[in-house]
Amino acid sequence: MAKYGGWAGKVLRVDLSTGRIWTEETIEKYKDFLGGTGIGYKVLWDEVPSGTQPFDPANRIIFAVGPLAGTGAPCNGRTAITTLWPTCWPKPLVATGHMGGQFATELKYAGYDAIVIEGKADHPVWLSIVDSQVKIKDARHLWGQGIRRATVEISQEMGSEAAVAAIGQAGENLVPMSVVMNSVSHSAGGVGGVMGSKNLKAIGVRGSGGIGIAGDKGEWEKLIKYHLSLLGANNQHVVPSTPQPWAEYYNPASRWVAGRGRKWGASTPTIETGVCGPHDLNRMAYRTNNFAYFIGEGGWQYTVRGSGCTACPIRCHNIIKVPSVAAKYNIPEVGQNTCSGLFFGALFFKTFPDGPRGQTAIEACMVGMHLADDLGIWCNYSQLQRDFQKLYYSGMIESKLGEKEFKGYSWNKYEKGDPSFLFELLPRVAQKEGELGTALGLGSGYLLERWSIPEEDWKGDLKTLYWKMGHPRHHSNDEMGQCGVIVNTQYNRDCQCHSHTNFTRNGLPLEVQKRLAAELWGSPDAVDAIGAFTPINPYKARFAKWSLLRKELHDSLSLCNYMGPWAASPLKERGYRGDDSIESRLYSLATGDRKDRQELDQAAERIFVLHRALTIRDMGTKEMRTQHDTIPDWVFTDPSGKAPFTQGTVHMDREDIRLAMDLYYGEMGWDKSTGAPTEAAYRRIGLAEVSEELGQRGLLP
Amino acid sequence: MDHRDEEQETIERALSLFSQNHPCSRRQFLKIGGISLLGISTLGPLLARGEAKAPLIIMEQAQGIVIADPTRCVACRRCELACTEFNDGKASPVMARVKVIRNLHFGPQGPYVGQHGQGNWGNGLVIPEVCHQCPHPVPCANACPNDAIVAKPPLNVRVVDVERCVGCRMCQRACPWGMMSFDAGAGKATKCFLCEGKPKCVEACPAEALRFLPWRDLTDKVPPRVVPTAALPPEKAASCSECHKAKN
Repeated sequence: MAKYGGWAGKVLRVDLSTGRIWTEETIEKYKDFLGGTGIGYKVLWDEVPSGTQPFDPANRIIFAVGPLAGTGAPCNGRTAITTLWPTCWPKPLVATGHMGGQFATELKYAGYDAIVIEGKADHPVWLSIVDSQVKIKDARHLWGQGIRRATVEISQEMGSEAAVAAIGQAGENLVPMSVVMNSVSHSAGGVGGVMGSKNLKAIGVRGSGGIGIAGDKGEWEKLIKYHLSLLGANNQHVVPSTPQPWAEYYNPASRWVAGRGRKWGASTPTIETGVCGPHDLNRMAYRTNNFAYFIGEGGWQYTVRGSGCTACPIRCHNIIKVPSVAAKYNIPEVGQNTCSGLFFGALFFKTFPDGPRGQTAIEACMVGMHLADDLGIWCNYSQLQRDFQKLYYSGMIESKLGEKEFKGYSWNKYEKGDPSFLFELLPRVAQKEGELGTALGLGSGYLLERWSIPEEDWKGDLKTLYWKMGHPRHHSNDEMGQCGVIVNTQYNRDCQCHSHTNFTRNGLPLEVQKRLAAELWGSPDAVDAIGAFTPINPYKARFAKWSLLRKELHDSLSLCNYMGPWAASPLKERGYRGDDSIESRLYSLATGDRKDRQELDQAAERIFVLHRALTIRDMGTKEMRTQHDTIPDWVFTDPSGKAPFTQGTVHMDREDIRLAMDLYYGEMGWDKSTGAPTEAAYRRIGLAEVSEELGQRGLLP
Repeated sequence: MDHRDEEQETIERALSLFSQNHPCSRRQFLKIGGISLLGISTLGPLLARGEAKAPLIIMEQAQGIVIADPTRCVACRRCELACTEFNDGKASPVMARVKVIRNLHFGPQGPYVGQHGQGNWGNGLVIPEVCHQCPHPVPCANACPNDAIVAKPPLNVRVVDVERCVGCRMCQRACPWGMMSFDAGAGKATKCFLCEGKPKCVEACPAEALRFLPWRDLTDKVPPRVVPTAALPPEKAASCSECHKAKN
């Protein structure tokens, strides 16, 4: 058999019911599915029958990475976790969560491309992986402890270099809104309870091996440096946020926030970020500061440094130091996370005494991270906090809780914006304590059902950002009109797709974006200005397909979809072009399996369509268009009453979206009336067996 | 005059040259004595430490060094990856010649101080560790029973001569900073060789945390990480006394 680089070569199998541990050959069984979500979907298809529930022992939880994980390819530190999803409503279906940090890398060096866990241990355990030595160890001394203690104690046993992915009390208590975390701040949402249901507290990995690069090392070095040269800031924003001497353009909404006077103010001594031009690859880590991006200029003084996943120069996480919280709340003065993880605590509150970006908001961030990242609570892309606000201020919480329980909370603190309120709320969610603690931990779909709130109430309210099946939008029409809407229909949780928004928000002027779009998707009409959308056309559907396939490709290769694809670059000498073949070039040189861009996109399509097939099979219907690919009403409403496709509104037109879905299904080669892939569509990408199985169940159009 | 007396006279003449701050290159010294030593070095650092009488140095002083600034390090590990991918064609930080992962999570003290130390779980400080290109006595070179660690011109960087290395790992036990690596695939020791004067780790760092500078002595400034457990081979211990003479 050909020997490939990139892949480690083994998939680790663990059955916690029997204690059996064995391995499979990655290439032999999974090469056509690359890695990551590809392996996850394949395992679920082959091994987990329809009707299995997320917390059943028969459910699998698959931690998988791709052939690029552990290499020097930029932004590869991602682990995909595939399982039957506890918050997917009304019926659990396949979905994935993703975590960064050091776990993906360490797993590869230990010799594995994936871990597939099934069954249930009869007492709390943790999985110890030290190269080929894999042991199921007693975790009774860790059960009931938070993620931090579990990580420290396992690291004491395994050594400082170990990567430890652990659940907190929320996961132990089978709270659906729970996470697994590694490396302090890197979480995968939604899966904590699945681990808890298997009595699996944590996985610790130490690897002493390496990953072979198939190609010539000089060629690899050139390719890596070329890729690095194309990187922008976080989310592949390619212009600075303020005028800079090196930049032709700037855009205040860009995440490239470095500049004179902007310092890592809590570093000792402070570090000026200064001029960070695109050719200065030794200063890439200074371009991005997501904390300051969201909280404003006041965030720089608390910034210690950037942090993030292995091999990524962007450092989208922040370590922040807020001395006031130590005395005020008795929590450590140092916190670490990014984006919604950083703002977990602040987003619960409608108002703060000193405004949405003041000191109190920052303290709420610190309290939130301190609690949530130890208890292991998920935010569902901040849907938890939006639900909480709506339920409170509409009086729903008061009416649903008994008087005794309601009086048990300091609501005056909540209304005033006192971060200490979180100490009352979050532990109860992790412990399923009381009606409120229980309901909030279910996820939006089951929460609404439990409290007899029609889903339509949420679907009709723009402020909820609720999309369907218990989860929110994730860069939808607000980011790029019809393309964003299409992308948000396709998954069984929030779509987590950034391919499209990375491009549309990259900060380049519209005429430059249109020029690039013409090269990438066939016409400048593929993209509009945000807030000045135009009717649907076939190129937008092509843009949507590209966005989805690349997201799935990244999640299978181990590349970060918050950074890729690299459709644009900050380089004026390239006309701001990125390189749409970067993924295939990295893949080919690392593995030795030569695939061009189209061929690799075909593998991505195979993986994406397998997800579709799993969804169809487990929903028991082929009527995807009407039953699954739904769009909430708020997408079509505008409070100001503006018509769609006029300047200053992002809402959509129903007939236009109907046509958009037609065009998308056409692009995919699927049946338009059902939105289901046809037999030909399955066969074309190598899923003939899948097609036969669905055919037997009457699930082909 | 017998051989030993000739040696003694040569050494004393050389010592007097150095004491007078007379500039003397290795070639000149060898011409004087016609003796093959392992090498000599300038005495600058030793004189700087205020030692009145400077002995001979066995190995040529290194001309360059990589210095790490932990307050800039963002713990991305691209230095480790560049070191092994671009030099060895494989991604294997366990043999990287700049070392980050062992300090990344908990700092040098490790998880044995809980979250009270450094690293991402402590106060956030991540220390990248680098080879100090030690002046005489060079622990890794001295420990090697086969003289497989040599000073390589033009930078006199201390490198492993893979032809001579037998993979005994004594050098790993000798380095007080635990900076020796081992290429398990090749069965040979390996260490920082400054990438022919263009260190790849320095090139790869996105935070300017690594700099390539003219050599300076860090051996008395950076606390050791481990207690060295290598023994000096007896034949080498004997040659020390050629310069380091006891008073009779």
